[in-house]
Amino acid sequence: MSRASFILRRAGRGLLTIWFAVTVTFLLLRLLPGDPALALASPNMTDAIRATILEQYGLDQPLIVQYGLYMWQLLQGNLGISFTQSIPVLDVLLQRLPWTLLLTMTALVLTIIIGIPLGVAAASHKGRFIDRAVQIVGVTGQSLFVPSVAILLLFVFGLNLGWFPIGGAYTNNTYGLEWYLSVAQHLVLPAVSLMLIQVGSYVLTMRSTLIETLGEDYILLAKANGLRGRRILWKHALRNALLPTTTLIGLQLGFLVGGAVLTETVFAYPGIGRGIYEAVTQLDFPVLQGAFLMLAATVVVANTLTDIVYGYLDPRVKTS
Amino acid sequence: MKHSKFLALGAAAALAVGLAGCAPSAPEPGESSGSTGPSDETISIGTTTDVVNFNPVLGNSRTDSWITNLMYPHLLSISDDGTKEAHVATDWGYVDDTTGFYEIRDDLTWSDGEPLTAEDVAWTLNAVKRDQAPGTFYGQLGNLDTATAVSDTRVELTLTQPDSSIIEEIGFWGVVVPKHVFDPQGSIAEFANDGSDGGWVGMGPFIMSDFQVGQHYTLERVEDYPLVDGGVPGPAEVVYRVYPDVNTEILALQSGEIDVIANALPPAQVEQLSNTDGLQVIEAPGLGYAHLVYNMDKPDLAKTEVRQALAHAVDYEAIRTVVLQGQAVSTGSSALMPVLAKYYDESVTEYEFDPEKSRELMEKAGYTADAGGNFPVSFRLIYSLQDSVTSQWAQMVKDSAAEAGITIELQGTERNTYLSQTSEGDYDIYAGNFAIMDDPVTNFALSYLPGGAINYTHVDDSDLNALIEEGMVTFDEDDKISIMREANKIVHEQVYDNIMYTQNLFFAASDEWAGFISKPSELLSIVNPLSLASAHPVE
Repeated sequence: MSRASFILRRAGRGLLTIWFAVTVTFLLLRLLPGDPALALASPNMTDAIRATILEQYGLDQPLIVQYGLYMWQLLQGNLGISFTQSIPVLDVLLQRLPWTLLLTMTALVLTIIIGIPLGVAAASHKGRFIDRAVQIVGVTGQSLFVPSVAILLLFVFGLNLGWFPIGGAYTNNTYGLEWYLSVAQHLVLPAVSLMLIQVGSYVLTMRSTLIETLGEDYILLAKANGLRGRRILWKHALRNALLPTTTLIGLQLGFLVGGAVLTETVFAYPGIGRGIYEAVTQLDFPVLQGAFLMLAATVVVANTLTDIVYGYLDPRVKTS
Repeated sequence: MKHSKFLALGAAAALAVGLAGCAPSAPEPGESSGSTGPSDETISIGTTTDVVNFNPVLGNSRTDSWITNLMYPHLLSISDDGTKEAHVATDWGYVDDTTGFYEIRDDLTWSDGEPLTAEDVAWTLNAVKRDQAPGTFYGQLGNLDTATAVSDTRVELTLTQPDSSIIEEIGFWGVVVPKHVFDPQGSIAEFANDGSDGGWVGMGPFIMSDFQVGQHYTLERVEDYPLVDGGVPGPAEVVYRVYPDVNTEILALQSGEIDVIANALPPAQVEQLSNTDGLQVIEAPGLGYAHLVYNMDKPDLAKTEVRQALAHAVDYEAIRTVVLQGQAVSTGSSALMPVLAKYYDESVTEYEFDPEKSRELMEKAGYTADAGGNFPVSFRLIYSLQDSVTSQWAQMVKDSAAEAGITIELQGTERNTYLSQTSEGDYDIYAGNFAIMDDPVTNFALSYLPGGAINYTHVDDSDLNALIEEGMVTFDEDDKISIMREANKIVHEQVYDNIMYTQNLFFAASDEWAGFISKPSELLSIVNPLSLASAHPVE
């Protein structure tokens, strides 16, 4: 299979996945208990007012009609108008997207630069104290729950030590360099929370695959040829051991996004995650549909890119 | 090796570019307001939800109201005893049974220098009615036909039928928006008013200058605000910051990140914060109540004796002492609460907690207890899990009812499900809260008339209906009070509503600020426009 057709097939599969995610999201939201009209007006509104609101937002139409209209609008690049904010959904999301990207990408970078070396250290010291300590860290990290970690960090480093702010993304009335420093300071606790729950997977995956790789015949041959351990580890073993970790980065992106919803909520970080939380409480269907579409697209694109990179690293994948 | 080096470099570069590209950009100094005037201080306030809508006639979110109330005026305010008082309107009332009026101040101007006139008031009312703008305001306009500015300072409202409450209710709940800004936008129900078209034009102590969704909402002082002593608001800026919940707000207050918590404190936090150095706790009367409502569409609950049995199976004092930490007052099981001083009727007293009496009433209703002392009925009580106070006392209601041999099954759900169950009548017993019941006639009409929006007991009592309808068209205050007291006695005797308590509200602030003017309810509290305009740093 040529590289182009490989990429096209992956892209086609990605689009199908996005359509499926959009449809499931549309249906699931309408299965939610509750009435969006109640979120738009006072619960003590009359039936006539409720009917008016439902009509205004097309919620009085049959489900299939609502779905058809939604897909038609979507194909034209229109995500709709927020029920509660009366502005285009795209504007709602774009206001928040930069913060979510900043948070998740920072957490991802932190996870990679901490997780991979830790895994390598454990594998290269297999059975020794460092290995056991890293494994404990890895297993513990996997079992952490974001809000618990976040609240603990908030209490210790925010309230007791006062090193970091309690919430938000920056300090008001700061400009230029001061603003960037304020953004960095506000980013620390949410990014560390998100990193802590991700890093365990990277550590354990890196460790197990590297140990497996280090037992391969070609590594033994390299040793027999008198190559130094450090050179074998970094030059020969690591590249192959990175393959499962590369896949993990793509797969974990979904968890990263899920974690961001909780992290942003606890730290009042103004990203899409916090926006989703508020849209759920207000049953703002268009915003939720738009947010989930954006998240699904992000995960699908990341996975597709992972497939392509993986295919580049290991040419056998393209022919499978 | 070459490939992997390039790959690693490429990945690092992509990440770096990605991070740089996605990073939010720094604001320019000119984008936010500077500080001028009597105080250079910014007062920071914590809230738990974002602004949903900057258009003050839409929706009913609390944060929306806190912020838009600083920019758009109401005609009337409210005093601690529940009576409406002047704000933009200096006089109000009725010309005849179907014509009401407001006289408004003549010294107010919008922030762009245009005068605020009766035409703005009339246009706002007519536009909200015409465009059916969804929200609490529109809900008050049922009996409004049309509003007319008969002079620069007088608005007259033609009603579709006599309504003795509508003038005060519109005055209290409705806002005034500038016609010259809102009219060109088309439908008032579809105008986002998010400042994207040249900023905001308002009339209040502060005006929005800058915001970042999910992060902060900054309002700068308006130098000329005649409704506050001295004519100039105290703080140079008001900044609302968003936090996930009240507990995080408390952490932020303690760490000095904010100066005021807009939300009422949970009862368990009041005493602790009262004794915390650097903080002050300010009390405001509650205007609402917590209640239990028994669904009369259910055959068992249609029996008066069963509702009375349930009413006598609740230990009200224990709930107020344990769950509310003594911060709630009894209403005498009355929908005419003590805070509405003119209407309160001391002859109506609280249902006595008496399990034996409950048993007698259940037997009188035709039920026989089994060997274990339990009656062969079970009632499903719904409540919102987001309401931590009700969640606690619901368990106490279940336990005390069990003492009387009555089984109650608790069904706590998330808020949207709870609201849905409520609107569909899918419950035996409804447990919940109303934040503001400021007008007795309106409250009774909504709660006890057939088809009333919050008639959760589904009552249709001809004697009660007649009294409420008479109250709605009685314009003499003494007569109205007398009629509503009669109606209240029926509600009490028949247990059409079981009012548990009115909760006093407590608000926390840094003691580096003084001058707050608290007003009843969480909606107004110490973040009402007059209060924030009067606040000043302690020397």
